[in-house]
Formats: sequence, C-alpha cells, structure tokens
Amino acid sequence: MKAEDCSIARTPSAARPGKYLTFVLGGESYGIGILQVREIIRPTAITPVPQMPPHIQGVINLRGKIIPVLDLRARFGLAAPAANDRSCIVVVQVKTTESPGALTGLLVDAVDEVINLADKDIEATPEFGRRLDTRHLLGVAKVGATVKILLDLDRILGEETQAQV
Amino acid sequence: MSSTPQDAETPIVLNLASDGELLKEYVIESREHLNNIEQGVLLLEEHPGDADTLHSVFRSFHTFKGGAGFLNLVPINQLAHGLESLLDLARLRKLTLDGERIGLILRGRDTLKQFIDQIDAQLTGAAPPAPIMIPTGDFSRQILAAMTSEPNLASASQTPEPTAAAASSAGATVKVETTKLDSLVDMVGELVIAQSLVAQDLNSQAAANPQFVRNLAQMARVTRELQRVSLSLRMVPIRGVFQKMARAVHDLAARQDKQVQLLTEGDETELDRNLVEELADPLLHMIRNAVDHGIESAEARAAHGKPRAGVIHLRASHKGGGIVVELQDDGQGLDKERILAKAIEKGLAAPGAKLSDEEIFHFIFAAGFSTAREVTDLSGRGVGMDVVRRNIERLRGRVEVSSAPGQGTLFKMVLPLTLAIIDGLVVTVGGERYIIPTLLVRESFRPRAEMISTLQGRGELVNLRGRLIPMLRLGEQFGVKPAAGTPAEGIIVVVQTGAALKGLLVDGLSHRQEVVIKNVGELIRQRNASIAGAAILGDGRVGLIIDVNALDGLPVPHLAKPVNN
Repeated sequence: MKAEDCSIARTPSAARPGKYLTFVLGGESYGIGILQVREIIRPTAITPVPQMPPHIQGVINLRGKIIPVLDLRARFGLAAPAANDRSCIVVVQVKTTESPGALTGLLVDAVDEVINLADKDIEATPEFGRRLDTRHLLGVAKVGATVKILLDLDRILGEETQAQV
Repeated sequence: MSSTPQDAETPIVLNLASDGELLKEYVIESREHLNNIEQGVLLLEEHPGDADTLHSVFRSFHTFKGGAGFLNLVPINQLAHGLESLLDLARLRKLTLDGERIGLILRGRDTLKQFIDQIDAQLTGAAPPAPIMIPTGDFSRQILAAMTSEPNLASASQTPEPTAAAASSAGATVKVETTKLDSLVDMVGELVIAQSLVAQDLNSQAAANPQFVRNLAQMARVTRELQRVSLSLRMVPIRGVFQKMARAVHDLAARQDKQVQLLTEGDETELDRNLVEELADPLLHMIRNAVDHGIESAEARAAHGKPRAGVIHLRASHKGGGIVVELQDDGQGLDKERILAKAIEKGLAAPGAKLSDEEIFHFIFAAGFSTAREVTDLSGRGVGMDVVRRNIERLRGRVEVSSAPGQGTLFKMVLPLTLAIIDGLVVTVGGERYIIPTLLVRESFRPRAEMISTLQGRGELVNLRGRLIPMLRLGEQFGVKPAAGTPAEGIIVVVQTGAALKGLLVDGLSHRQEVVIKNVGELIRQRNASIAGAAILGDGRVGLIIDVNALDGLPVPHLAKPVNN
C-alpha cells in the first residue's frame, strides 16, 4: 500500500520517517529525532545562571563539558508539575551558529520509548490554537490511539541563540 | 653558480591537489625561517660580523631555497638564492653588510613572506587558486649589484653547505597540531577533576585501607605532574613577540627619521602560546605610540640634554602566578594637563574633579581618545589604546600606565600565564558559588556599617582607607538572595577594573582554586555578559566565573547586550 492511499486531505509534513525518542512533558507526549539525541541522564545538580529567562534552568557538568539545560515546559508555557523521580535530562546535539554541535540538555518529565515512524504515520501540524506555538513543531504522529507531537529542535534551539542578537 | 636576473617574471602556479601536504609543511617551515632571518638580520645590523648569526641566516635562506626548488617555486627559489649568495659572501668575509645591504635583505625577506602568505591563503582556501605573481626581477638585479659593488667577487660562486647543517640546528622537537595539544590539556583537566572527585568520595571503609589510600595519593601526585607537564607543552618563550617588536621599531624609527633602540629583557619568559599570539597586536600598538609620540626627534632630545637615540625597554617576567610585560620609553612622557582637558571636553571627567595621576593617565584607554595634535599614518586616530585595553582585558589581564614629564612612559601589563586555567577565588552568595579571577582581586575585608554610604541615585560607596569605591551587591546583581542581611555581615572583595576599583559584596570567601576555564556557550553568553565562563569545582558541580569588567551598576535582565567578538 502506498503512503498516499491512506490519507485523503493530508498536507505534507516537514518530519521525516525514522526513529524518534518520545517523552512526556506536562501530560503530552512529544517526539524528537533519535539522531539528535546523544544520551539521557538522571537529573543532576543544575547551577543556575543569573539573568536568564525562566526556561533556561542553568548549566550542568556533563563529564567535564559545561552544557546549558532548557526547561521545555517553561519554554512552551505549560504548567510546571512537581519534579518526579522519572524526570530526566535528554542531551541533544543540534547545529547552532556557534558550532556544528553544541550540546544542550532538555529537562523532561519522563522518557517513554523509541518509536519507528513510517511516512504514513506522520501528518502536518494541525491548528493547536494558542496552546502551542506551532512554528516549533515538525508535525504530529499517530501511534495506535495516541498522538505524539514532533518537535523541531533545530528551530527551537536555533532561536535560543539568535533571538538575542 | 651565478644568479642571472630573470627579465621575464615567472608566476608561481600551485598544484594544490598533489602538493598540498608538502606545501603546507613548506609554509610552516618557511615562516620559522623568515622569523629567524628577520631576527638575525636585525642582530647583524648591530654586529655586522657576528659569524654565528651570519651562518644561521645563511642556512635559513639556503633551506628556503632548497624547498622552493623541490616544489618548483621558481621565483622564490631565485630570490632566496640571490640572498643566500649575498649572505655567503658576507659569511666568507668577502663583503660587509652595510645598512643598505641589510635593508635589501630585509626587503627580500618581506617579498619572500608575501609569497608564503599568498601560498598559505590559497592552501587554506582564503584566496582562490590563481598564479602568484610578485615581481622579483628588480630585486635580483639589486642583489647582484650589491654583490658586485665589492671588488673581490671573483670567487663568489660557493658551493652551499649540505642541508644537514640546517637540519641539525632544529634539535629534537616534534611539531604537533595545536588542536591536539588543546584537547590533551582539556582531557588532563578532566582527569584532575575526576581524581579529586574520587578522593572526596572516599567512604570510611576505603579510607581504612592504607594500601588504597597510598595508591590514591600516588595517583594524585601523578595527575598533578601530568597537568603541569601538559600545560608546559603550550608554553613558549615570549621571544617571538619581542622579535616582531624589534622589527617594528626598526621600520617605524626609519620612517619617522628617529633614532630608537629597543632593549629586551626576559625573552626566555614562557607563557601560553595562545597568549603570545594575542599579545602581539596590543604590544605593536603601544610600540607605535612610543615611537610616534613618545620618543622625540634626535634634535629635540639633544636640546633637552638627552642622548640622541631614544631607548625602548621591553621586559617580561613572572610574578605571582602571572606574567608582567613592561614597555618603557624614555621619551617626553604623557601630557597630564592635555589628557585631563581632553577628558573634561569629552565628558569623561567632571571639571574641577580631583583625580590621581593614575586615574588621569587611564583616560587614554577610553574609546576614541587621542591627544595627538596631528594624525599620522601610524597613530593618533584615537583608536589604539582602547583596543589595547580591551584586548588585554579579554585575556583576563590588566594594563597600568605611569609617566613622568620628560622622562618617559611606562606601560605595565599583568596577564595570566595561560588562558586555559585561572587561579580563582571562590566566593559564596546565598547558596551559590561564583569564581573571581584572583589576578584581579586586590583585597577583601569585612566592612563596618559606617564604611558604607549611599549616594543619591548613584548606588553605594564603601570607604576604603579614605578612598571611596563603588560597591556592588553581587546577590542583587545576580538575583540571588544573600545570606548576609547587611553588608557588615558579608565580605567585600575589592577588584581591579581598569584603573578603578570596585567592591563586590558577597556572603563569604570559600577557597582559592586553580580551575580549568570552560566555555559556557553562546546561549548563556548572549544573555549575560558578566559570565566570563564556567569551571568545574572540586565537588563536580559547575561554578560560574565572573567577568568583573562587565559587572555594572544595575542588573539588566534579558536585555540585548552587544556580544563581544
């Protein structure tokens, strides 16, 4: 069965088929391309940095490297639930203007699993209203009965470093 | 072999695909030879007959020529050959190197450098591949003329020494890519941290095992030694920069028609390779100023009863974990009145303000500040000294100036030994720890309540032995609630920023620590310019390094700040 056959009014999505790491953030399930994920670590002591916006939590020591940690919940304006013992820091590596691979930590509520998405699973971002800024989404993926929101990390992190210049 | 001047100039066409690697090595080697030649020739200017220097310069030209011949870089080969022959005659005492010939050799060396620069540009892709064309025919003729002007040229054609002689002078050294060296230093830094983490994590059971404790102590010793050695790999003598300055003084003095002598001290002083490179520009600025404005013309000097030739001293020495570079001229000195007048005119100082000499002299480091009456092609546009100050501050150092009318000016730069590691003072505010570079810390003390005064709308001042210095509450700056309720419960750390002092109010001093400086990344730096970097503290957590120069009166959260460099 060809991909085109299964959807009637589907707009193309920027998301590519492949493996995605899914995680939970404020009750919703999100996915990021597995190739951008370097590792997943337990929450460690975060050193707060003065004069940062709320979504920049601070910096951590990742085996000798200093990397910033972002709180995506604050970034997307979601309510902040109490930290639980499933919280993790997902370390991602994304191209920025500074270097081809600056590491960044993303604070998430829980890491789910790695899923394999085929082209037919991915759809363009529907209108979310004001709940989410859809510019930062690659698309959505339907996996069984659940919906995973696919994040455009290049864009999210790219804006972090460019917004201020 | 005689060097026939080529009337038709041969352009150099590089074969980057097949000769790329060889050319790269040739460029690196050539730069060393060019430096050696320059330094040697300047020495020869003073001691024309010095056999060792003559040999060394001759060998450099010879190796230069050999490589060019091998790579088929015809014009380089010919020019180097001509200069080599000239040196050879001097070496065999068949002619003497007078001023004219010295100038010729220097210009020849500059032409060779142009070739090398262009080859380098094409190798690195900075310039598109194209035939390199620099006229050398005139030069070859001049060189020939310089050689034939001496009567006894008959036996000019000498068989050059075998290249082995040149190779042997290189000694047992290995060329290593600097990135490899940097990553080695980084990794050793990690090792030191890992080692101290293990040592701190000792539980009572392990601590009771004497063998284990001994092994751990041994490991600590080895790690420290390893760190010392790996850091010393990056250390190079400051001589290279001083040599550049010698050339600059030579050229500048000639152009200004002044007599200037450069005396250097402490050429052997070692410092970080990166620092050496960064130091060259600011030093050059200051040397230019010294020759252009500082040293008077020979007539003016004679009229003031000074020796006709001006002297510039360039000194380097180690001091207290840092390095001190001093540049002193015996010229006319800074004009205090004019600087003050200019500062008032520019609104930098209030009219009638009582300022110390040091404070007045420091105005020359303000942006766009120049008291030069006329702009020359060398200096006087007022863009020099503020750049110098910023460069030095970027290297986490500071620059001081003192001057006496008619006796000269002294610039003193205090720099850290390396850019990779700083000696930091760890201070606490609330639950947070921050690192202040110890080099910038003047003193620290617990203030009494009556030492603090508030200036309406202009912040707080602390009276330090009669001197009022601005006080910044670090907790307030950084949005951290301090543990100390009043300044009298905290500690004031006095730091040097430019000529001014600042008092930083913190809760307490934790300890001093040598830390490996890490980049905090663009994400953080763009939003807070007062964070110079970060370091990993003994417990593995991150401590932020404060850039005291960027700390200002009021916190400005989330405002777009210009990003330096």
